[in-house]
Amino acid sequence: MDKLKIGLPRGLFYYQNEYMWKYFFEMLDCDLVVSPKTNKEIIGLGEKYSIDEMCLSMKTYLGHVASLVGLCDYILVPRIDNYGRMNQSCTNFLAAYDLVNNLFEGKLLNYNVNYENGEIEEKAYLCIGKILGKNKKQIKNAYQSALIKSHKQIKKQCINSLNKLKSSKTKILLVGHDYNFEDELIGKPIIEYLTSESCEVIKCYELPKEVTNKLSFQISKTLYWKNNRENIGAIPFLEQSVDGIILLSSFPCGPDSIVNELVIRRVKLPILNLVVDDLSSFSGFETRLESFLDIVKQKIMR
Amino acid sequence: MNCYLGVDIGSISTKGVIIDDNNNIICSLYLWTEGNPVNAVKKLVEQLKNKIPDGYLVRGIGTTGSARRLIGLMLDANVVKNEITAHAVGTLSIHPEVRTILEIGGQDSKIILVDKGIVIDYAMNTLCAAGTGAFLSSQAKRLNIPIEEFGEIALKSTNPTKIAARCTVFAESDLVHKSQMGYSKEDIVAGLCKSIVLNYLNNVGKGKKIKGPIVFQGGVSKNKGVIKYFKEILNADIIVDENGHLMGAIGIAILARQKRLEKTYSLEMAEIDFKTLGIECNKCPNNCELLKIYKNNQLIETIGSMCGRE
Repeated sequence: MDKLKIGLPRGLFYYQNEYMWKYFFEMLDCDLVVSPKTNKEIIGLGEKYSIDEMCLSMKTYLGHVASLVGLCDYILVPRIDNYGRMNQSCTNFLAAYDLVNNLFEGKLLNYNVNYENGEIEEKAYLCIGKILGKNKKQIKNAYQSALIKSHKQIKKQCINSLNKLKSSKTKILLVGHDYNFEDELIGKPIIEYLTSESCEVIKCYELPKEVTNKLSFQISKTLYWKNNRENIGAIPFLEQSVDGIILLSSFPCGPDSIVNELVIRRVKLPILNLVVDDLSSFSGFETRLESFLDIVKQKIMR
Repeated sequence: MNCYLGVDIGSISTKGVIIDDNNNIICSLYLWTEGNPVNAVKKLVEQLKNKIPDGYLVRGIGTTGSARRLIGLMLDANVVKNEITAHAVGTLSIHPEVRTILEIGGQDSKIILVDKGIVIDYAMNTLCAAGTGAFLSSQAKRLNIPIEEFGEIALKSTNPTKIAARCTVFAESDLVHKSQMGYSKEDIVAGLCKSIVLNYLNNVGKGKKIKGPIVFQGGVSKNKGVIKYFKEILNADIIVDENGHLMGAIGIAILARQKRLEKTYSLEMAEIDFKTLGIECNKCPNNCELLKIYKNNQLIETIGSMCGRE
């Protein structure tokens, strides 16, 4: 029998769960089909299926889903509600499954994460394993080993990030969602520009999340979005070790618009707030990034 | 003797200045870009060249403004820098004690905060061009008032009409409504000037601590009405330099001096054949819009490619 093909849209959930999903489905003997890196065609597809109010990242995500339709047996779209109190997800993470289910033909693979209702991650993986026709023992095995392997990878990434702090280059901390910074069209050009200007780039989502989540309480005691917490916690964590901070959000992201404003008011370091809307030109960003680096470098010289 | 050329190519106007080793302005020129930066700069350089007194050699060229990259290639500039740094350097050379620079240009507006001679923070208008010079000049046309007289007329009003300051589209419908209701032209013009200031402070200046000395520059700083309302609303003195529109060009000329190479530039523009060609690359789904730049029929650079393909 041919292996089952699982489609993974390269957006929103993908970057956080990349390793976990990869190892889990490998253990269950499934093939993975990851949608290509974002290109204009994918964004165009996404815009076709979205309404105006959705953020650019959500539109892009829908484009990725659309590009997978017909190429795989299942497309994986989770429904993430919360990882406990004070660890809520943004509404996109909650709504994506139902949106996709209503918009596209084809079978979806879905799991729920809602710790407040007792739907923990392990249960979720059990549920998708069952849909794929595997037995309980197989699934548990796959889950455990994927967990161990992915933790190893994440730990490696963290160590790598912290090592960058020893560099003598200008160090810039990137604060924003992984699905924005890692996106080929949204965040990659920014990272490439900074690297070409010989900056060391430290990404907030490649730091130990347990640590940043806790530290974020220094910035806000009441904020309840898990992703935002983990992102901004990087600021108290590394404030003393970096030279500047760049915030990136996709228009019109609700949580980011509040959180970034909060952060800008509290931070003493040079800080730049970038909002990506449509992607027609990078030159506006170039002006902002260049003058921001001028500020950072002048400050270092003094 | 040495001199240095600074060119600031904005969306509406093109500014050029030539300075000597002590940052003194030898000559300057201001003309309209008219949607064609290449031609505007050709004209600018031709005219500036004739104004340079004998005995001066051009030892550095800098470009800034939104067409800086294109023009930098065309003039073979030794410095190409963003307008924020250029404006700050230019302003600091004349007002070393400045803390806040307010700048309203044709299509963008910015605020630059300075502490002890270095830039510490800045902001630019982002998604929308409300409250910039382009808006003022289009409204001046509507009201059939030459933009140069706009400020004078505004000063005559004692009771500026309230005009929605948030968005150009709403401001325009508000304006039509108010004039149809019978408000006087002076009050409406004054209201427009005030709305520019409010819009600027609410959008660009949002959350920034504006400390004195404050310098106001850019094309709109020629408008006395706007200056008046900045003073009134900020309750502070506003410095407006007669060379306020040249600050970017002065700044970039200074940067060109600091980074000069052992090289002399001729300003012969007539001989240079400079062409640009916009094409769409269809080699991948990104369909990048490429701009190919030819100097004397040789491809010197391609701008706009995501993958580096020429």
